[in-house]
Amino acid sequence: MIENGMRYLRGYVKIQIQGYSPERFLNLCSYHHILIWGLAYEDHCYELCMSVRDFKRIRPFAKKTHTKVRVKEKYGFPFSLYNNRKRKLFFAGFIICIFLLQIYSMFIWDIHFTGNETRTDEALSSFLREKGVFAGMLKKEADCRKIVKEIRTQYDDVVWVSASLDGSRLKIQIKENEDSFEKEEKKKDENAVDLVASSDGVITKIVTRTGTPQVHVGDTVKKGDILVSGRVEIVNDSKEVIGYKYCHADADIFADTQMEYEDELSASYEEKVYDKKEKHRFYVKVKDTRVSFGSVKMKPNRCEFISKEYGVKAGKNFYLPFSYGMETVRSYHLREKIYTKEEMRAVLSKDFERFCKDLQKKVFK
Amino acid sequence: MEKEQIKKKLASAASMPKDVVMGASVVTVLGMSEVCIENYSGITEYTDTLVRIRTKHGQIQLKGSCLEIEFYTNDEMKITGSINLIEFQEGRNLR
Repeated sequence: MIENGMRYLRGYVKIQIQGYSPERFLNLCSYHHILIWGLAYEDHCYELCMSVRDFKRIRPFAKKTHTKVRVKEKYGFPFSLYNNRKRKLFFAGFIICIFLLQIYSMFIWDIHFTGNETRTDEALSSFLREKGVFAGMLKKEADCRKIVKEIRTQYDDVVWVSASLDGSRLKIQIKENEDSFEKEEKKKDENAVDLVASSDGVITKIVTRTGTPQVHVGDTVKKGDILVSGRVEIVNDSKEVIGYKYCHADADIFADTQMEYEDELSASYEEKVYDKKEKHRFYVKVKDTRVSFGSVKMKPNRCEFISKEYGVKAGKNFYLPFSYGMETVRSYHLREKIYTKEEMRAVLSKDFERFCKDLQKKVFK
Repeated sequence: MEKEQIKKKLASAASMPKDVVMGASVVTVLGMSEVCIENYSGITEYTDTLVRIRTKHGQIQLKGSCLEIEFYTNDEMKITGSINLIEFQEGRNLR
């Protein structure tokens, strides 16, 4: 396969030989390392193929063996180039193709992010756009070191960034810090602060980082009691207090507390019942101009309007200024229904679960 | 002892490939349609029904129909077509 391709690229000829002893001619050729293929016998003449370069060398052998050589056909790229020499537009197209390829490869066509978990691709690319890095920019203007620096200064929780050009794609790899920095925020207020109970309860676990704990595990506390004092005693060798140091108390305190929870649910509710009426409208959008096909008019009724729009993009992140979409209208009417006891229980317990989850989120923020 | 026989013994004693030591030709037959020949000195005759190949020790004769030489280099050749007969003839001066 590759061999055939190479033969085609270099050009080869099919020749016909005729004479007293063609075998001798063939042997001479092979002795001089001339590659022969496709040798066939056809009423007293032989047809064979050889490359153009070898063809130029066979004249003395043909003379020596009294063989008549006749070129039957020419194959290959050099010949087709010569045959098509008058097709100027074809060559122009070929040159333009190479030229365009060269020009297009001077731009960045895609920005690819990997490793970003908390930040979306969109957020990162809009940040980069502000800094003058976007899909469609010139490749040589992209300074990978600068991009890395800018990302690092903008996002504190990014611990490692790498930007590299991979063909016409800008690859940005990011490693985010899994445990976020909250201590830095706290450093801002250096005033001495006590930790105070936010509700009544029994302490189950206490981990103090700074400050003096005032309660122990198992203690019952009331709302407003000091749990960890921001005043730290400074003692000398004989355990006498010689001074106080004030700091920002910091601790994890777990306590069993009670909390009231109440929820209401109206027994009747309205259910959407879709009619079987549906209308679609397809549209194409170029920048802000929109061309739609079909209509979505419905009789004055309750209806649901759904619109989906897709941006056309080249590559993964390079959006072209076209988009297309589909609008769907579905009519429906409302029907009054009443919850059964089981349904009610299910809905309410789901709400309660959600409440618990929110509470946990609030505490462990 | 003849030189050839010494070579033959040497080759079998040292378990060396005979095609290298003695210049024996290697004929690989693939079904009825393909024959690959290595170690030969030239073609004596070639038509579409008969191919005679000169080797160091004699001659190989192929008979068949629609015989074609797919490629022909200094050390290997491939003959395709439907092959009926492969014949080995000993002797240097066969014509």
